Amino acid sequence: MKPLRLVAAFMKASFQEEAAYRSNFFISITTSVLNLGTGVLGIVVLFGQIQSLQGWDLPSTLTLLGVYLTVSALRSLFISPSLEALSGMDGEIWSGAFDFTIMRPVDVQFMVSLRKWRWFASFDLLLGLGVLLIAVIQLGITISPAQVIAFVLALFSGVVILYAILLIFAGLIFWSPGVLFTWIFDGLFQMARYPLSMYPGWLRLVLTWIVPVGVITTIPAQAITGALSMQNLALSLGLALVLVVLASAFFRHGLKRYASASS
Amino acid sequence: MIRSSLALIRGLWLSWLQYRSFFFILAFGWLIPPLIYLLVWSTAAGDQAIAGLTRGQFVAYYLVLILVNQATYAQTNWTVGDLIRYGQMNHILLRPIPPLSDALASEFAGKVVYLAFDLPLVALLALILRPELDFHINNGLAFIPALVLAWALRFFWGYWLALLAFWAARADALLALQDSLIFLLAGQVAPIALLPPAMQTLAKILPFRYMVAFPVEVLTGQVDPANLLPGFAIQAAWLAVAVLLSIVLWRSGLRRYTALGG
Repeated sequence: MKPLRLVAAFMKASFQEEAAYRSNFFISITTSVLNLGTGVLGIVVLFGQIQSLQGWDLPSTLTLLGVYLTVSALRSLFISPSLEALSGMDGEIWSGAFDFTIMRPVDVQFMVSLRKWRWFASFDLLLGLGVLLIAVIQLGITISPAQVIAFVLALFSGVVILYAILLIFAGLIFWSPGVLFTWIFDGLFQMARYPLSMYPGWLRLVLTWIVPVGVITTIPAQAITGALSMQNLALSLGLALVLVVLASAFFRHGLKRYASASS
Repeated sequence: MIRSSLALIRGLWLSWLQYRSFFFILAFGWLIPPLIYLLVWSTAAGDQAIAGLTRGQFVAYYLVLILVNQATYAQTNWTVGDLIRYGQMNHILLRPIPPLSDALASEFAGKVVYLAFDLPLVALLALILRPELDFHINNGLAFIPALVLAWALRFFWGYWLALLAFWAARADALLALQDSLIFLLAGQVAPIALLPPAMQTLAKILPFRYMVAFPVEVLTGQVDPANLLPGFAIQAAWLAVAVLLSIVLWRSGLRRYTALGG
C-alpha cells in the first residue's frame, strides 16, 4: 500500500508545517467565520424581501449554501493547496522547482494532487456540515439512510468533478506560465453558492455545460432533500469519471511541454 | 512632488508589466460578488418591483456599484502591513519624498489598470442586461465629491487598520473583517434600503456605507435631496476620524519600528 503510506506522510508533513505558524490559526478561524456569516446573511437578506425565487425558499437555498461550504472546505483541505503549490503564485512551475518533483519515483499527477494538506480547513468542514444540518432541520423533513448514502455518493462525485476541473485549469499553466488560471475558476465557482435557476439563461448554460460548477453543489443538495433520482445520481457519477479521465489525459499532455523555468 | 509621484506611478506600471494577466484576474475576482447579487436581485425583481426598485434599476444600481467598488478599493492597505512586517519600510523611509506618496502612487496606478478591465466588461453587461437609469445632472454633480470622499475614506480607514501592524503581527485579519462589513453594510449584498431594519440603522451610522454605497445611491437617485447634506456630513466626519487615526498611529508606530528582520 505504498500510495496510502505516501499520502499519510504528506498529511503529517503538512500538519507539522502548519503547526509551526500558530498565529495563522486565529486568522484562519476569523476568515472562516466571516465567510460563513456573509454567506448566511446574504440569503437571509434576500428572503427577507421575497418568499421564494424560482421555486427556492430560505431553507432549500440554505441547504445549497451548506453543500457549497462543505465542498469548498474539502477543496481547501487538499485539492487547492496541492494544486496551488504547482501552478499558483510562486508555484513550482513559476520557480522551476517542479524539476525536483518530476524526478521523484512516483506518478506526477498523484504527487501534485495530494501532497499538501491544509488542516485548518477541517474547521470549515464542520461549519459547512453545521449549516447543512440546520437547513435540513428547517426544511422539516426526515432523512432516510438511503438519502444519506445518496448524499455521500453525490458529494463524492461533486468533489471529483471539482478536482477534474481544477486539474484542467491548473494544467493550462503548461501553455501560459504566469497566468493564475485557478483564480479565474474561483470566481466562477463562487456562483455555485446560489441555485443556477436564479441566473439568466446564457449563464446557466455556461455553468452547466462549459464549466459545470452548478452540478457540483445542486446534485448533493437534491440528494439530501430526496429530490434526486437514481438516474441523475448515476449520471453525475458517470460525469465525474469521464471528467477525471479527460483531465488526467490533458494534464499528462501538458506535462510534456514543461521545459523548466530557466533557459 | 508631482514629478516624483509620476515617476513612482510609471515605475509601478513597468514592474507590473511582467504580471499583466495577474491584475486582470484580481479585478475579475473583485467583480464577481457584486455580479452575483446583481443577477440574483434582478431575477427576483423580474415580475414585480421589490421595495420600489424595478429589474432595470437593480441592474443600473449594481453596474455603478461594480465600478465604484473597484474605484474605491484600496489595494495598498494590504501591502502597507506587509512592508512593516517584513521590515521593507526602510527604503521608503529613506527616500526624500513623503512615505504616504508611495501608497498613493500605487493606488492611482492600480485604479487605472483595474478600471481598464472593468469598464469594457460593465459596458458589455449593460448591453446584455439593459439597465434603467433615471439620470439627473444634479445627481451626477453630487456623485463626484461623494466618490472622491468615499475613496479617501476607504483608503484612510484601511490605512490606519494596516498601521496596527506596528504593534500586532497579524493585523490584516482586521482588513478581512473590514471587507466583510463592506460586503454586508455598503450596499453589495443588497441596496441599503432592502436590509433588515437593524442592519439598516448600523449601515447608516457606521463608516462602511459611505465607502461604496453612498455615491452609488447618489448617482442612481436613491438619496432624497433632504438626506444628501447629512450624508456628506457623516462621510466627511468619518474621513476626519480616519485621517486623524492614521496620523497618530503613523507617528507613534514609527517610533516603535525597528526594521524587523530588515
